[in-house]
Amino acid sequence: MKKRLSLSLIFLILLGVVLTGCSNNDANVEAKSKPTIVVVLKTLSSQYWKFVEAGAKKAGEDHNANVIILGPSSEGSILDQVNLVEDSLTKKPDAMVVSPSQPPTLIPVFKKAKKMGVPILLVDTDADWDDKTSFLGTDNVTAGRQAGNLLAQKLKPGDKVVLIDGALGNTATDARSKGAKEALEKQHIKVVAEQPADSDKAEAEAVMSNILQVHPDINGVYCANDDMAIGAARAIQAHHLKVPIIGTDGTIEAVNSILKGDLAGTIAQKPYDMGYRGVVNALRAAGGKSVKKRIDTGVAVISKENAKKELSFLQKILGQ
Amino acid sequence: MANVAFDENQEIVKEKKTVKAFLNKFGSLIGLILLCLILAILNRDFLSLNNIMNIARQSSINALLAIGMLLPILTAGIDLSIGSILALSIMCMGIAVVNMGLNPIAGLIICVGTGALCGWVNGILLTKLRLPHPFISTLGMMNIARGLALIITAAAPIAGFPMAVQFLGSSFAGPIPVSFILVVIIYILFHLFLTRTATGKYIYAIGGNRDAAHLSGINVDRVLILVYTLSGLMSGLAGLVLVGRVNSAFPLAGLDYELDAIAAVIIGGASFFGGVGTVWGTMVGTLIIAVLRNGLNLMNITSDLQKTIIGIVIIAAVFVDVLRQRASKKQ
Repeated sequence: MKKRLSLSLIFLILLGVVLTGCSNNDANVEAKSKPTIVVVLKTLSSQYWKFVEAGAKKAGEDHNANVIILGPSSEGSILDQVNLVEDSLTKKPDAMVVSPSQPPTLIPVFKKAKKMGVPILLVDTDADWDDKTSFLGTDNVTAGRQAGNLLAQKLKPGDKVVLIDGALGNTATDARSKGAKEALEKQHIKVVAEQPADSDKAEAEAVMSNILQVHPDINGVYCANDDMAIGAARAIQAHHLKVPIIGTDGTIEAVNSILKGDLAGTIAQKPYDMGYRGVVNALRAAGGKSVKKRIDTGVAVISKENAKKELSFLQKILGQ
Repeated sequence: MANVAFDENQEIVKEKKTVKAFLNKFGSLIGLILLCLILAILNRDFLSLNNIMNIARQSSINALLAIGMLLPILTAGIDLSIGSILALSIMCMGIAVVNMGLNPIAGLIICVGTGALCGWVNGILLTKLRLPHPFISTLGMMNIARGLALIITAAAPIAGFPMAVQFLGSSFAGPIPVSFILVVIIYILFHLFLTRTATGKYIYAIGGNRDAAHLSGINVDRVLILVYTLSGLMSGLAGLVLVGRVNSAFPLAGLDYELDAIAAVIIGGASFFGGVGTVWGTMVGTLIIAVLRNGLNLMNITSDLQKTIIGIVIIAAVFVDVLRQRASKKQ
């Protein structure tokens, strides 16, 4: 009896100690002198979001703000993200930066934030909510157009290309394909096939192989994301072809593939800038200054010439 | 003199016994209260009315799933399919109400009905197909229902539900969320069902000793089918609350929710071997998980570390239970 009680007590005390150790006490003390910005991302457990996290953290250091960065354990933990935003509001931050996994799910909580007077800035993914302070993200049509131009540079008028799209109805990848198609057709390059591969590597490999059965004479490929570009490259190599392939996103794997010569280039999004500029503009909004409703975080064209530099930049962000 | 001393001893023994009975009955409740105290000391926002109502809201979905899960666990079974059934139920409702423009009340019935139907199939698979353990039938259903939820809408979310559908998950009665009032009503009904009806007692009896229950004339199959149907029905109801809370239905809703529900039931003192467990214990278990998650969120503790801490709490809670049983056997 006594033993059990003392065991339970020991456990609870240990838990208390662990919790005290974990809690951000210094942040609480400093909270009054510095503005607090809470950043809630889709997750913190993938490379892309690590870049956003790193940018947000750096902005906090540069602008003397208390930046708290949170995210559920996976992009699929949708209700966890809703709870996280709701719980963060309890702490009355000066502003919040959020990247919604499923945009409609967060709108009830955003309305609550509005009532409390907490400005909400969205990064990477927009939500259909008029009262947001701003949306910072890639302009996907521009990204696609740049990709189309990059591919056209390596081809001549009359050449045939293939477009591989993301999942049907994915607005981001659809916009990229649309931009790429525009740019290619402007340069009189023919799109002979366009098919979705759900942003997935293996799917893109299969789709590309099928297309090659019908069009073995293509001169180039554009894929709406990097994973699909890497998958398509495998299929192209299996058919002993050598044609330029362009992706979009700028993942480390894609940049490595460019260095190896498997991909001709990619249009890199700027997740680090999204995090950095998200926090900077959140601070502006918290200080009562005006913020543009739509901020294009821009893209960068990565090809063999600058791939090495990009790679070391990305690795530095991740602390590798 | 001697008499007095004797009396005192008696008194002490008595006191010890009542303390012990009290601890046995309210052990996890005391744990919950201590946890709240620790979190309140560590975080000044924890005890604000706003935050307490957040906890009430955030716990209600798992509370509904956990009370559904209690029934299979009482019969020494398990239901792994509740999270997937939740997703299928809300997607069916989404198609009916938003895409086809059906009456919202019909949508509510479709949602809860789909849940109950899937649960009934679980029961049939277990009893009529004689699959060896509900782990298997409900594991199958978990995959089937999730797959169907993705297929019927081509994996796209559905938004724009009418207020009548969102009412349960999004409305407040004064400061109190309607979803939590629903939880309290459902828990009272389940308590009455399990303690005051013959079927409720059969459920405990089947968990205690299935063969004995069968021999004493209980229609075990019928009770088991009812148990899994109710579990599925609660998934549909939890789905209604979720849709109201997040203003949309999406096919990945409820992913891994069965694990939180199992954790709540087990922390609440139910035994995996069946026959042991109460409605109020399940409520305390649900609240312990919700309070812990909320408190850790308030302290900016990452989701990865949260998982670890909740894992430790599950093991610790069951370990305390094991010690308690060992101690009572010794006597």
